[in-house]
Amino acid sequence: MDKPATSTPESGAPQPLPQGTFALMVHPWTWLMALRDSRKEWKRLLIFAASIVVGISALVTIHALRSSLEQGIDLQARALLGADLLITSREAFTDADREAIDALAEESSFEISFSSMLNFVDSGGARLVQVRGIEGAYPFYGEVLTEPDAAWRNHQARDGLLLEPALLEQFNASAGDQVKLGNASIEIIGTVQQPAPRSGRFAGFAPEVYLRASLLEATGLLTDRSIASFHAHLRLSEEMASAEVIEALRTRDGADLWRFETPESRRDQLGRVLDQFEQFLGLIALFSLILGAIGVASAMHAQIRRRRASIAILRCLGAPARASFAIYLIQAGLLGLVAAVAGGGLGVGIHFGVVYYFAETLPVLVEPMPNLWVVGQTTLAGFLACCGFAVLPLLQIRDIAPLQVLRQGGSTAQARRRALLRSLPVVAFLFVVMTLLSILNSTNLARSLVLTVGFAGVFGVLALVAWTFIALTRKLTTERLPYLLRQGISNCFRPQNQTMLFVLSLGLGVFLMLSTMLIRDLVLAQVQVSESEIGPNIYLVDVQSDQVDGVKALLEGNDLPVLESAPMVSMRVAEIKGVSIRELREQGLVGNRMVRREFRSSYRDHLNETETHLGGTWPPSDWDGNEPIPLSLEVEIAGDLGVELGDRMVIDVQGVPIEVEVQHLRAVDWSRFNLNFFMLFPPGVLEGAPGFTVVTTRIPPDETSGQLQRALVEAFPNVSAIDLTLLLETIRTILARVTQAIQLLSGFTLGAGCCILIGIFLNGRDQRIRESVLLRTLGASTRQLRSILCVEFGVLGLLAALTGGGLALVTYSALAHFAFELSPVFHIGQILLVLLASTVLSIFMGALFSRGVCAHSPLATLRQD
Amino acid sequence: MSQPIDTESFTPSGSGVNASMLKVENVSKVYHNAGHELTVLSGANLSVDAGECCAIVGPSGSGKTTLLGLCAGLDQPSSGRISLAGNPLQSLDQDALAALRNQYVGFVFQSFQLLPTLTALENVLVPLELQGMRGGRKLAVESLERVGLGERINHYPTQLSGGEQQRVALARAFIHRPQILFADEPTGNLDSETSAPISDMLFELNRTAGTALVLVTHDNELAKRAGRVVKMRSGRIEGEERHG
Ligand SMILES: Nc1ncnc2c1ncn2[C@@H]1O[C@H](COP(=O)(O)OP(=O)(O)OP(=O)(O)O)[C@@H](O)[C@H]1O
Ligand SMILES: [Mg+2]
Repeated sequence: MDKPATSTPESGAPQPLPQGTFALMVHPWTWLMALRDSRKEWKRLLIFAASIVVGISALVTIHALRSSLEQGIDLQARALLGADLLITSREAFTDADREAIDALAEESSFEISFSSMLNFVDSGGARLVQVRGIEGAYPFYGEVLTEPDAAWRNHQARDGLLLEPALLEQFNASAGDQVKLGNASIEIIGTVQQPAPRSGRFAGFAPEVYLRASLLEATGLLTDRSIASFHAHLRLSEEMASAEVIEALRTRDGADLWRFETPESRRDQLGRVLDQFEQFLGLIALFSLILGAIGVASAMHAQIRRRRASIAILRCLGAPARASFAIYLIQAGLLGLVAAVAGGGLGVGIHFGVVYYFAETLPVLVEPMPNLWVVGQTTLAGFLACCGFAVLPLLQIRDIAPLQVLRQGGSTAQARRRALLRSLPVVAFLFVVMTLLSILNSTNLARSLVLTVGFAGVFGVLALVAWTFIALTRKLTTERLPYLLRQGISNCFRPQNQTMLFVLSLGLGVFLMLSTMLIRDLVLAQVQVSESEIGPNIYLVDVQSDQVDGVKALLEGNDLPVLESAPMVSMRVAEIKGVSIRELREQGLVGNRMVRREFRSSYRDHLNETETHLGGTWPPSDWDGNEPIPLSLEVEIAGDLGVELGDRMVIDVQGVPIEVEVQHLRAVDWSRFNLNFFMLFPPGVLEGAPGFTVVTTRIPPDETSGQLQRALVEAFPNVSAIDLTLLLETIRTILARVTQAIQLLSGFTLGAGCCILIGIFLNGRDQRIRESVLLRTLGASTRQLRSILCVEFGVLGLLAALTGGGLALVTYSALAHFAFELSPVFHIGQILLVLLASTVLSIFMGALFSRGVCAHSPLATLRQD
Repeated sequence: MSQPIDTESFTPSGSGVNASMLKVENVSKVYHNAGHELTVLSGANLSVDAGECCAIVGPSGSGKTTLLGLCAGLDQPSSGRISLAGNPLQSLDQDALAALRNQYVGFVFQSFQLLPTLTALENVLVPLELQGMRGGRKLAVESLERVGLGERINHYPTQLSGGEQQRVALARAFIHRPQILFADEPTGNLDSETSAPISDMLFELNRTAGTALVLVTHDNELAKRAGRVVKMRSGRIEGEERHG
């Protein structure tokens, strides 16, 4: 090469810059320029990067927790069940059953569980508890922690019961006291700190009480239970697979009504429930990640805008076209890397915190240290998403012509088309990254694709709504508005404004917050209904037919109304339209559950106010008292069974088959907690069948059920009082935890959005200073300048609020209608409050990050240009 | 579009041979704007020899900047041919043009065009760094000292006055010893007192380093010092004067 004479200074032969993007990326000069270029920008860039930090940490937190829980469940699957196999039946195991089970198991333990009232004689209180009568060395895996230590080991030998410490506290009792269970008086021998695995599906609503099964004889409660379940816990030898045992037992008479659970099935069941919840949380985390990535992208976009001139000069001086691209790609990459490391670290920290503070709420024991492989994987995915988004604005670099040094010019249509074409591979890459992220969330590819498209859709709709509002505002701003207002509004539309980004990020936050809030309130209100209205709030169950009058009298004696009283008989469906239910199951026409399902039915000749007549006649008009017996069916269950008016079925009423004909269909409003049944018989059929009566009453809101429960347990020890208020309290607590988790993650999204807002405010600061100085020179007062700024920030916040709020209301209505099948309730005050908060937040942050704008010295500013 | 370019394949400008450094043949530039055409340059012919000094003058809007941009390969002509240091520009792609500029061309602009994120020293270094040369720092300090800014090497452009910024630009334009220097109204933003040393330096560098100089100016005095004055009007080269 013909070297200019002086270009051979002290160094060796010059190496011209490479041309390829990759070669440039690893060239030290590019790195040097990237660092030089960002010297004064780090603060601004890092604030935007904070948004992706929040996003990545949300993602890492949720995925780390998820894997920890999965791992915990895996490791503790046996301890979660306490046995290798659990058999549950509605009916007591016969001696033959027991022998068969014992023959197959290495060790077995039997349990009967039911709910009953526990009477604290000393303090005179009573409470519904879940009684677990255990026989044998259950649990075989895992540990039951008691106080005193040996109490669990001893309870099989001693005449006493163990209960939850909260019960002792509530009734001011202590170990050694006597309590009454049914007719028996039993001593409290200790408390249970860490309970045995729950065996029932609906356990958990009442505190548990443990005792030796043989003690139950004396209580007299065993004979007349409506809802009791019987469990066999099996420990199997190493060689014996649980599937074989199930196979061997299933063929026994009556065993097709047994439910078999293994550690695997329990793990899967628990896993599935958690998984769905986690997937939902993961979705919200993805929102904050995308928002964060958009934040970084817009930071890069603003950076390129500011650097147009520099890029043109570099090209003018002979830098390869890709050099600037490489420089800013390095910047974006570094930014992403810093953010990813910080986000990953923060995620690990949050994991520690959650495990530490919520250890009691989590279903299994969880290691505080998350799985680093998952953390790394998630962080990497977040990093890639961040880079992918950041590359989009970098594409415009290639279109900055060196000619711009001589003359600033806009890009031509051709250049724009080129830029669009060039962005296609990047968009495709982003699509792949997003799909990968969705797969992280739920391993199903089809669902992930749908999710990715859904995300694009949500952002698209949000952008569209934002765009509409922005365009409308622009159009509606007329000359007639006062000057300050007009100036403030038009500030939102200054060249290179970031109004769209602003509305998108704050709008997304408002959207998530408001929609989760509305849904939560809707669901909670549903649980609240019974308390505010006239419906029953106490159910007295297991009332024997000869006790009904006594119970009613007792209620009236306590000045409580008898709201309803209904007999209840258990039955199963045996045949539908001449085909046995087992055949139907084999043909796949009804589910497994329908075969086992026990219907508790009643008989009466009228409908109550929560039932709606849909078709047929009730009570039956021309029934001669013979089979087929007319039946009134609830419409949904009729659909499940596949029957219509006029169809016949055979119902198995505790061994006695009865032929029925569907002669009436009705809809039931289950939310009102009245006594309702899927199947209603006419009076005169079921009276002789073994059954129980349920009596409902209502206790005034300001009173507790304590006194009634005490009176009841004295007179009718076998009758249980279910306090709906307490039950609902439990449900509310669970719901509150769930919504807490959802709102925590929505908070992440709002956090990412706020970081972007700060970035936007800082980006616009110079421009605002310049404008303020100009207005100052023209004679504007500080007060006027401040008002203009306030209007600007207020309009931005309001636009975001309208966008996010509007979308939230639509989503909420749709979800309420289609997912929850409830009519949406709009609390105008609350909605307005959220919208107002968004606007105020915008004004507040705008004012905070524009401090000193009005106080700037005009001279210094004008010099800077 | 990006065949690998190889700077060594550029035809070396005849050192010593009195070859033409810049050759503009029948060049036109037409802008298409909203349906109608605007011819801003038509049939321009110009030839500048190595080491020659040439001023372009003409009223505002006559196409001076357009011509300069075309000569430096910053834009493509609508028709005609331009060759720089023996290399026909129309056959080169953007990266090859950039490499060519980096090797042979220096620039000085009316609005200085320093990189705001770099210090004076770093600005001057960029052309050398682009050539991949190491250890250019001493050279850069020297050239800053030559334009009288030896004390200000670590200052950013915003910390310098207009005249000082233009001197940094000058140092940057000469650091890699270009064979041709394009200057578009280099003193247009400066008062006469500040501009005098700048133009002095331009001519001095032209003399001592043998760099060809193409200078666009409104200043007739300055133009006359160039020796050769090309006059433009309405997109045409009207004629030439030679002074001194
Ligand atoms: N992108 C463009 N589209 C249309 N016309 C253009 C464009 N760029 C420049 N022109 C026109 O070309 C003509 C020549 O412009 P040019 O900048 O070359 O003039 P000039 O001689 O440098 O003027 P000055 O002395 O004011 O700098 C002007 O009339 C200008 O309006
Ligand atoms: Mg000009």
